[in-house]
Order: sequence, then structure tokens, then C-alpha cells
Amino acid sequence: MSDTVVSVKDLHKEFVISNTAIGSIKTLLVWWKRRSVKRFQVLKGVSFDIKRGECVALVGRNGAGKSTLLSLIAKVYKPTSGTIKVNGRLAPLLELGAGFHPDLSGAENVFFNAMILGLTRKQARERFQEILDFSELGDHVFAPVRSYSSGMIARLGFSVAVHVDAEILIVDEVLAVGDFEFGLKCLQRLKEFREKGGTILLVSHQAETVMTFADRAIWIQHGEVQMDGTPAEVMPVYKLKSESDLGRAQ
Amino acid sequence: MIDELKELWRFRELLIAMVQRELRVRYKNSFFGFLWSLANPIATTIVMWLVFSKFMDNGVKSYSAYLLAAYLPYLFLQQSILDSAQSVLMALPVVRKTYFPRELLPLTSVIANFIHLLLGFVVFFVFLLIVYIKDPQEFPLQGGVIYLPFLLLVTLVLATGLSLYVSALNTFYEDVKYLVTVGMYLMFFICPVMYFVEQVANSSVNHQGKGFWVFKLYNLNPIATLCIAYRKTLLSPVTVPGRHGEQFAPWPMNWDYVWVTTIFSVFLLITGYAVFNRMKWRFVERP
Repeated sequence: MSDTVVSVKDLHKEFVISNTAIGSIKTLLVWWKRRSVKRFQVLKGVSFDIKRGECVALVGRNGAGKSTLLSLIAKVYKPTSGTIKVNGRLAPLLELGAGFHPDLSGAENVFFNAMILGLTRKQARERFQEILDFSELGDHVFAPVRSYSSGMIARLGFSVAVHVDAEILIVDEVLAVGDFEFGLKCLQRLKEFREKGGTILLVSHQAETVMTFADRAIWIQHGEVQMDGTPAEVMPVYKLKSESDLGRAQ
Repeated sequence: MIDELKELWRFRELLIAMVQRELRVRYKNSFFGFLWSLANPIATTIVMWLVFSKFMDNGVKSYSAYLLAAYLPYLFLQQSILDSAQSVLMALPVVRKTYFPRELLPLTSVIANFIHLLLGFVVFFVFLLIVYIKDPQEFPLQGGVIYLPFLLLVTLVLATGLSLYVSALNTFYEDVKYLVTVGMYLMFFICPVMYFVEQVANSSVNHQGKGFWVFKLYNLNPIATLCIAYRKTLLSPVTVPGRHGEQFAPWPMNWDYVWVTTIFSVFLLITGYAVFNRMKWRFVERP
């Protein structure tokens, strides 16, 4: 089983939604009796294995649990129950500018993001220029990230993630943001990454990207794996279901 | 806990970079940059020398040296605890989207302040050198200075333990920060920074009742014990004048209280780390 890089077994994730939002000791004391705690099951027993070199797309409607699943694999959340085994170095790109601090400059964020993703200080300094060149941001990298457009943040985040020698890349709807030219550059880069044996796990709402780029699609619905197969198998069924849902709503 | 320590070790490079940034960011837009770190201890030294040797001359030779020896560790504890209280909340946008051991955040605050403490002691020794050049008779430094690394280590352990507790709790209950701010402000007066422990030992409140319980209780405060220990080991014993003109003989250094503080600090560090590790996964799910 050495070629299984991500193994997810019977994964459950439950969030506690508190209406009183305990943020101070006063509210904790005052609302102790009356606090209403709702438990919200996001993932209800998800299992799958991803092999080395695969490109897996997660599809499903908003709120189905795709992003939670990726965050769990990226170790931002802890599972309520079930196990996740990751074998290899992971570079998660959860949303735009995952983990950029708005008050720091783009350059500083690049440096820290690269280190969070596992580079040493020396490596981060060596690759710094390469990352900046790839992002094509020019002198803007020295401005604070809060002044960036969403496209600029996406560029920078993506540039870091593909320069840290990760074996597994997690991409959450980032490809849709940059302009057309940068989108092509990213796809090109991801192809090179796959040719070198890298594994990709992505979330996309663009059926086209999934069909052309991924070689496996997992359809998540209401926190469960609805269907798991090639994009050619999964996407038509998913599309049909979405359309029938839409029809029923109308 | 062993696994978490291994994970922490794996991220040591990130910790170093975070400390470097913390030290650089603070004086980012200033011309003298890192030199400003020295400004606070230098200014404190000069003001204290002026006020306590010239204005409020209480008869203790080189009183400002005694004051600084206790004030520097106190300042370090205060600053590192207050900085780390905010550390997780400040980094929440990053914490929500990336993985790294969360304890790096309070640890960064503590280590950056510890470097400031070391700089403070450099200024302290330079000040003592100036005192020596001016009048070798007045030179208060003594051989006990060899205990300084040990005392610094205990202080660091205590600060880290407290910071882990405070940063974890403050992430959920922001009242903790205000409680701690008031607490540390009061500590300044409860601990023998501005005065001498001999004045506590000889106070009338300590002599009421049996067994000098006020003094014993006073020494159980780990920060007070550390302030006393720094002063007693670094500087030569000094006779303290009382309120009614009497002279209080120097109190001997009592290592028993230092051992109690050491054990207590290690206990705080271990339990603080355990509490932090229990709570750290919920930081991202904070309401």
C-alpha cells in the first residue's frame, strides 16, 4: 500500500454551533443555563484512498462538506472521529491566499507561507525570487496584502504552493480566480507537477476543468460520498441531479 | 505530549523565522531599528538612577542597580504574558487556513521578549561598569552572578507556562487579557521591585500573630521569589533603612523558595502545554 498517499477512513466531522457565541466570561456565566448548542454534522462517514499520481476532483453543491474535508486533510481541523493518513508532503491551498496575513507585505507572506509549508529559511530565501517571478506581481509584492485584489492574492498563493516541493497539492477553487493567461500558466504548471508524479486533490465547480484535468471525481453530497469514479461516469449523473433539483425548486 | 514536542521540533525553522520577524516588525518603520530595543532599558536605568539616587535618596548605595535587577525580570514576565495573550487572536486569519503547531505563536512572543530581557541585562552590566569606573567602592556586583543563567532559565519556564495558559484561554474568553493586565500591574507592587524584601520581613503586619505567615505567604509568589533571587545573587547584601530611622540587616538568600518556584514553574509549563494542546484544535472553530 505504499502508493496510497491519502487514506481517509470513516471520517466524521461535527461542528458545534452556539447561538450565544461565548466570547467572554460574562456571557459564559450569564448564558450558561440558557445556552443553546446545536450540533451540525458536516461529514458523516467519508472514506476513500488516493493513490500516488492521481488527480482527484471533489464535486458537490455548496455546503456539502468539500472544503471541510480539505481542511481536515490539511490538519486545520481535527476529525470528530475517523482517521486521515497522509503519506508525503502536503501543500494545501485552501481558498484565496490561504494563510496570508493582511497586514504583512506580499513578500513577507511568501516567505512565511513557504516556511509553513515546510521549507527551511535557507530554501525559502533561495526560492524567493523564483516565486515572485512566477507570480508576476512586480513591485506590488512589497505592499501589504490587504491592498491586493483577489486575483493578485490567488497568484501569490498559487506561486508559493507550487514551489515548495510538495508531493500532494490541495487546491480549493483557486484556479477560477486569476485572469485567463495566468489560469493557463497554472494549468501548465499543474500538468508538469503531475508528470513528476505529484498528486492533486482539487475542488472545482467548473465541469470543464474536472472533465479535462482530473482522472477521478468524488461527488460529495450531504456529508457522504455519493459517487466515486472517473469524471466521465460521475459528472453526467451529478449534472442530472443538479438540474432535477433546480427543476424541483422552480 | 511527546508527539507534539516532536512536531514542534520539526517546525523549529519556522519558530526562528517568526521570532526574527517579531523582533524586526516592532521597529519596522524606524531609522534605528533594532537599537530601539535598548532604548527602554537605557531610559529606565537613567530615570531610576536620577530619581532614586538623586531625588529620593534613601541611603542605599547604588539603589538603581538593585531596582533594575528586579525590574528587568518583572518586565519580561509582564510583556511576554501580555503579548502572548494576543498572539493567537492576531494570527487567526493564518491559523484558519494553514497548519503549523499553534504553540509557535505564544512561544514566539515569549522568546522575542526573552531576547529583550537579555539585552536589558547587557545594559544593566554596562551600567554597573560605569558605577565601578566612577567609584570602585560602590560597586555592588558579587560572585553570585554565576547563578544568573539558572535564574533566567526558571524565569523563562515560568513565562512560557503562564503564556500557554493565557494565550489558550484568551482565545476563547477575551476577558482573560484584561484580568491579566490588572493582575500584572498589581504584581509590580506586590513584588519587591520598588522596595526591599527586608522591609516586608520587618514590617509590623508580619510581626502580628504567629509564625510570620505574611512573609511566608509573600515568598510563595513565584514572581516575588524570582525578584528577590535576582537581587540577592547578583548584588551584594545591603542594609535597608526603615521608616523610623532603624537599619534592617540584610536578609540571607533563601534557596528553598527558589526551589519551590522552580518546581511550580515546571508544573505550570507541563500543565500549560497540556491545556494548550487540548484547546488548540478549537481555535479555528472559535465562535
